[in-house]
Amino acid sequence: MATDEELIAAVARGDEVAFAALTRRWERPLFQFIHRHTGGRDVEDLYQETWLRVVRAGRRFDPARRFSTWLFQIALNLCRDWHRAQRADPVDPDDLDRMPAGGSSPDRAVDARRLLAALPEPQREAVILRYFHDLREDEAAEILGCPRGTVKSRLHHGLRKLMEIARR
Amino acid sequence: MTPGCDDVLAACFLDEADAAVEAHVATCARCAAERERVGSVRALLAAATVPPPPPGLSAAVRRAAGPLLAANARRASRVLVARALAVALLVLPVVLLADLRVGTLVYGALTALLPRALGLYVVSSWAVTVTGLLALTYAAIPIFAERQAAALSRTIHG
Repeated sequence: MATDEELIAAVARGDEVAFAALTRRWERPLFQFIHRHTGGRDVEDLYQETWLRVVRAGRRFDPARRFSTWLFQIALNLCRDWHRAQRADPVDPDDLDRMPAGGSSPDRAVDARRLLAALPEPQREAVILRYFHDLREDEAAEILGCPRGTVKSRLHHGLRKLMEIARR
Repeated sequence: MTPGCDDVLAACFLDEADAAVEAHVATCARCAAERERVGSVRALLAAATVPPPPPGLSAAVRRAAGPLLAANARRASRVLVARALAVALLVLPVVLLADLRVGTLVYGALTALLPRALGLYVVSSWAVTVTGLLALTYAAIPIFAERQAAALSRTIHG
């Protein structure tokens, strides 16, 4: 089976079969990544734009890097632009106080999304990459474009904040 | 290395607690209490399920990427042909000089045996044939380049 790096090199040469294989392979992780960043809004548009950027920039991909890191980096940049454009409606921590303790599963899913949304963007990015996508600190650091120690510290502060909110 | 309280918090959150972390939690009341709270955060976040991608999404992306992929293919083909031609043109002066040298030698040998006009005719015919073959070779470069690209693609997709 061809590696991601071989497939992206083929995409840079205009290979449609390679592109189909890449999109199949990364469909779910990328969709989930964007969904968690935007809270489920405009996911399909951002998903499509991510892949179009991958095709456009394919020939500039450095084969020494991991494709997944590069892909998430593109998606993250788009999500950041999206947040700036939205001037994302901030989550009022007081609203979180009113989160029901129990509740049905959809309610809990909404609560969980609101909990994540309550984090400042840098901390939320670190939590999503480390907790939901199970990436190592160095991989998360490369995607976020910051040192490993910063990822560690953002995760720590994010976690403290989550615990603080959950305790209310 | 002995883990600190901060490391314990992250390790419990990421479900990466090893023996050292467990040993620390066993002796640190604060971390033991925090581990409970981390568990409740984990339980809350676990509910943050994401729906699967809509069925037609990837197909729509592939359709949208079609023109871009076609542009990539055209560019890649142009680059491959240009590279092949560049390499071929690099050796062309050597080939021409060698042909000229051989032609001169053959013409010298022929004029010693045959009338000068007949020798000139034979050497000219040979030169025209060589030029034609060279032109055919260079014209075939784009075709070979295209086949090379197709073979590369087949290698990737098995």
